Amino acid sequence: MEFWKRIEGIDRRWIYLIVGIAVIVPFLLPIPFPISITPEAQMLYDHIESLPDSVTVMLVFDYYPSTIAECEPMARSALHQFWRKDCKIITLSNIPLGGPSMAETVTREIAPEYNKVYGEDYVNLGYKANYVAVLSGMGTSIRSIFPTDNSGTNLDDIPMMDSVFNYEQVSFIFEVADNATADYWVSIVNAQYGVPMGCGTTAVSAPKYYAFVGSGQFVGLLGGMKGAAEYELLVEKPGNAVIGMGAQSMVHLLIIALVILGNIGFFMLGKHRRRVS
Amino acid sequence: MSGWEIFEVWVIAFFTLSLFSFMYKDNPFYKVAEHIFAGLSAGYYVGLIWESVIVQQLWDPMMGGDWWLVFPGILGFLMFARFFPKVSWVSRTPLAFVMGVTAGIFIISQLHGLVLPQMQATMGVVDDVNGFWDFLLATVVVVGVISTLIYFYFSKEHTGALGVTAKVGIWFIMISFGAHFGYTVMGRVSLLIGRVQFLVEDWVGSFSYIF
Repeated sequence: MEFWKRIEGIDRRWIYLIVGIAVIVPFLLPIPFPISITPEAQMLYDHIESLPDSVTVMLVFDYYPSTIAECEPMARSALHQFWRKDCKIITLSNIPLGGPSMAETVTREIAPEYNKVYGEDYVNLGYKANYVAVLSGMGTSIRSIFPTDNSGTNLDDIPMMDSVFNYEQVSFIFEVADNATADYWVSIVNAQYGVPMGCGTTAVSAPKYYAFVGSGQFVGLLGGMKGAAEYELLVEKPGNAVIGMGAQSMVHLLIIALVILGNIGFFMLGKHRRRVS
Repeated sequence: MSGWEIFEVWVIAFFTLSLFSFMYKDNPFYKVAEHIFAGLSAGYYVGLIWESVIVQQLWDPMMGGDWWLVFPGILGFLMFARFFPKVSWVSRTPLAFVMGVTAGIFIISQLHGLVLPQMQATMGVVDDVNGFWDFLLATVVVVGVISTLIYFYFSKEHTGALGVTAKVGIWFIMISFGAHFGYTVMGRVSLLIGRVQFLVEDWVGSFSYIF
């Protein structure tokens, strides 16, 4: 019984330490946990594959830097898939803190691999406040909301934007989000303008958005780091999400073990106290 | 890795470790990191809004001939009346515009984009039964939706058939909470993984350039 009493009174900092070790170890000694592809991720991949080559698509960086581990691998994989199909990519963000600069960094890093040139193959519109007005306004005119790109260049001076005026010229939108902006992309852009959409979101938001896949409002969904890892495997560019899934699986196993241990301790001590009293 | 990049990595690592130090106990490093983060975020946000909204969408177009933008500009300026008690009532005018526009946009978009398609999809499950598994799925959806809605019906005491249905609804809600909790754990662990990934790959990686 002494053991269970110790477990009950354990300092929570020991748990933090164990979780920390469980996260660090897989980075030093990679453990290959299997990653299965969910139908939602496959549907997203298949839909993008089915798009005609060279169409214009939007890639939305609606996530804060804190969720980079989950969201950035999704954005990177999407860029690989879009550019393999020679798509023209418009990136933008409804997130003030970091969104536009993350879009800038990721696109400029991957573009040389596919010989893509800024202004001809991709453009970063940057950020504008009030996403409801932004999403609604772009339906009429992208230029009215974003007169310039993220660097201040007039959209009229960007060759790629010569034939892009509003959502009518956009064939697909991939929203990578760690917050509720995906709701507004669905309710304003998908519902009112009929643009097909896919979504990659953090694990916290994922359960809510499965309903949009069921209703056909999203063509597919990536849920959290697992979804990101699946997409990396689908585009055959395993990266940080696949590596991170080793740590993710380790911590999940640890948490399951701790929950079981805690419950056994709870019942054992309860039984012991009843017997004593 | 250039000297500047190494410096950046070390600054990020310092703030990451300072924030993590709170897990041991509150300390000055944590407080410094927290205050700098709050200050930087506020400053960055103000600068961004000034440039992207006030300059790009108000001042520049006005100077280009769209003089009528002076009216929304004045309305926006009136928001600051809230800071002066004697004239704070003036701020209700722009607020009324915000409320009206928001309600107008949201009622339509929420109904048209969320409520109706979701209802349609729920009913579509029943309409699209093809085989035993589809029938089972449709049954789960119908029972789940109806019993959960009944759980939130508070105009009658939950006794008898209503009580039993509400209890079934609780089970569906609990299963939903379980799924949410599992995903939330994954999300929170991912935040930690992101930071550890940075520390192990970038920060520890920078040691070889220094030592």
